[in-house]
Amino acid sequence: MLFLSQVIGKPVLDRHGGAFGKVRDLIVALGEQYPPVTGVVIRVTGGREIFLPWSDVEDFDETGARLHTSSIDITVFQQRPNEIRLYLDLLDKQIVDVEGRKIVRVNDIQLAPVRGRLRLVAVDVGLTGILRRLGFSGPGERLARALRLPMENYIEWEEVDPVESSVSSLKLRVPHAALATLHPADVAHIVEQLAPRDRTGILTSLDDERAADVIEELSAEDQVDVLEALPPETAADILEEMGPDDAADLLADLSEERKTELLGLMEPEEASDVRELLTYGEETAGGLMTKDFITVSPQETAQQVIDRLRELQPDANHVYYLYVTDAQGMLVGTITLRGLIIADPDTRVSEFTRPEPISVTVDTDADEVARAIARYNLLALPVVDEEGQMQGVVTVDDAMERALGEGWRKRLPEIFEPVEET
Amino acid sequence: MTRLAIPRPIRRAQRSLRDRLPNFRVHRSGVLLFLGVMGPGLIAGLAGNDAGGIATYSVLGAETGLRMLWILPVTTVMLVIVLEMAARMGAVTGQGLGDLIRDEFGIRWTLFAMVVLLIANGANVVAEFAGAAAALEIFGVPRFVTVPIVAAGIWALVVFAGYRVVERVFLSVAVVFLAYVVSAFVAGPNWGDVGRGLVTPSVSFDTSTLLLMVATVGTTVTPYMFFYLQSSVADKGLGPEELSFERADAILGGVWTNVIALFIVVVAAVTIFPRGIQIQTAEQAAIALAPVAGNFAKALFAFGLFGASVLAATVMPLTTSYAVCESFGWESGVSRKFSEAPVFMGLYTALIVIGAVVVLVPGLPLFGVILVSQNLNGILLPIVLIFMLRLVNKPRLMGSHVNPPWLNVVAWGLTGLIILLTGILFGSGIAGWISKA
Repeated sequence: MLFLSQVIGKPVLDRHGGAFGKVRDLIVALGEQYPPVTGVVIRVTGGREIFLPWSDVEDFDETGARLHTSSIDITVFQQRPNEIRLYLDLLDKQIVDVEGRKIVRVNDIQLAPVRGRLRLVAVDVGLTGILRRLGFSGPGERLARALRLPMENYIEWEEVDPVESSVSSLKLRVPHAALATLHPADVAHIVEQLAPRDRTGILTSLDDERAADVIEELSAEDQVDVLEALPPETAADILEEMGPDDAADLLADLSEERKTELLGLMEPEEASDVRELLTYGEETAGGLMTKDFITVSPQETAQQVIDRLRELQPDANHVYYLYVTDAQGMLVGTITLRGLIIADPDTRVSEFTRPEPISVTVDTDADEVARAIARYNLLALPVVDEEGQMQGVVTVDDAMERALGEGWRKRLPEIFEPVEET
Repeated sequence: MTRLAIPRPIRRAQRSLRDRLPNFRVHRSGVLLFLGVMGPGLIAGLAGNDAGGIATYSVLGAETGLRMLWILPVTTVMLVIVLEMAARMGAVTGQGLGDLIRDEFGIRWTLFAMVVLLIANGANVVAEFAGAAAALEIFGVPRFVTVPIVAAGIWALVVFAGYRVVERVFLSVAVVFLAYVVSAFVAGPNWGDVGRGLVTPSVSFDTSTLLLMVATVGTTVTPYMFFYLQSSVADKGLGPEELSFERADAILGGVWTNVIALFIVVVAAVTIFPRGIQIQTAEQAAIALAPVAGNFAKALFAFGLFGASVLAATVMPLTTSYAVCESFGWESGVSRKFSEAPVFMGLYTALIVIGAVVVLVPGLPLFGVILVSQNLNGILLPIVLIFMLRLVNKPRLMGSHVNPPWLNVVAWGLTGLIILLTGILFGSGIAGWISKA
């Protein structure tokens, strides 16, 4: 086992044992589980840096390197797209510890021979790494152990996700595969720890739906920052994946310019819903509501409705109440999921409709909406226009979030915790 | 963070304002609108008017009159240059200063820089506690009562209330120091003398003047400020395309801070200097506000000093712990449990406890403690400046936004000057001064 800090600066000898230069950096090729070392950067006498392929290296350990070629083909180092320099690109940089779900710094890098080649196996993010780098390994470790500080902390390379920092030369197309296995709330927690400039790398690597889930978990301020920073096309794609009400809330906080730009890039259908929601005041039912709701006609049978639900596969929070509208789109009643399931399959909707539904108009004050939902113990409240046409629904989580402040949602479990979607 | 708490007209005003001024980021959680649109440079500058600033400027005026006024234009240039560089680095790299030091210089230099920052900010925390204690001594409250209560209070406040709120209140208290401007006009110094004092350098190399000079530099150009400014520019996601705004903001912040400083020195020079008083207590320093507040001068001064001290004592340990933990990659944040972020919570708590304990040492002169802490800041300043200058000149980080040559000449020149000043100070025998204090 070998640490990067132990080999940097160590002498490089030629095949006859003569001094050749000093180890400056190691190159690894990413892609495999344990990336193999493919080359070494050597500072030769005179200060010039040269690159040698790993095949020229005979021996390599903590005392230094020994080459076995006599004719050194001094070529200029060309970094291939999948290669990184360990010292320059990875050491001291921030990485995502996928297992621990947090951002850490690389204190040292562990190398070991695996399947006949020296490979990058783990990063050292613990106190031992810091002490080794500082040259305090002996006394420092004894002291730290006496203080019962947590010492070793190695993260296997598989469990690591590099951060494409705005300042590092590491501009890889990192797959971020490990991140995709985490819950959106965990990814959001990781994203929040990064500098705003470094957040887009992770977000763009996720698929749009996941990115939307992650963004919804961020604080309002961070949501705005992220949406301003993302490339416009990506931002528009992510907005389409969000609920129109959330998308509208978010867009309302962007600059006028950016808002118009993003709306223009969204699919016309989604954009028109969002545009409509944006016209309502933030403090009204219209500002709170979402356009995602399901309407049924009084003539449909229970079985027909259930079949349609199977086809639509709606989100959990749109399935508990279904809204009965007549041919003109007027809200005439509601049916509940329970009513639907216990009804005989051939029963017409009109027979188990609850008439005279509690509803609010689009310009009802937001506080009043929250009060109505609380008083009648509703999971969602339909919103109609002046004529009584169904316009949208306000769900209980949005209403309570407005009434109790944003922190609420973070403290209580989500009411509509999405069931494993397939 | 409750959004409901913000009155609707203010929120509406925020939105329309934001639409008109695309460069300003309005905080939704903003308590006061004007603080919401205030740039980070102005905030960083204002933060310089804490216990250390008030005490140092008062003593400078009280002991040297208008003779040393010329140092203020010099420190203004220094502050503006440094704040501008910090804002530029934050905007171009999107990273905090601690992050950049770790990224670029590796772990040894990071440890060194963080130890320097810990000492400088630790000294500041001590100064803030001393300021709070001195302020309440005006009302006869002994420091053995004030300090433990304040220490426990701010620890709890940050852990339970969140520091954004604290920060805003802190800045609102800074408004009290406008009283110095009014006081100066009421006291009516000979403005011709003030003008002459500003442009006529007079240097004497006696230890007490040298100490005052280093303290003035240290309190005006505090390492804490650049760390704060750079990360807040980075955290707000301000980019290079907004550089002209950030530059203006930094310059405004630097100049404004020193305008207040100038008035404090002038007032102290006019009101305290002629009486030959060597300021030892807050009561004596409060004389400077007598022209404007009369009998209320003590109360006004005590209020301002206490507010500024307590709130700076809240923010300082917090930002220090953040900087250290981020550069070492340790979990940070006050909402974390102790076991989740042991280093962060440990550092935060230790800074407060150490700050409080030092001030509780019986017989320590409070104003003396504050001045020593500002001297320490002045002595450590060049180290941080060298880190900054090395970083800001790296084309790999800054691209075309590296320092222009003239700025490097000025900045390195001023850094050299501070080192020289500190060297002379040590040479002239710090021992004699310690026995005096």
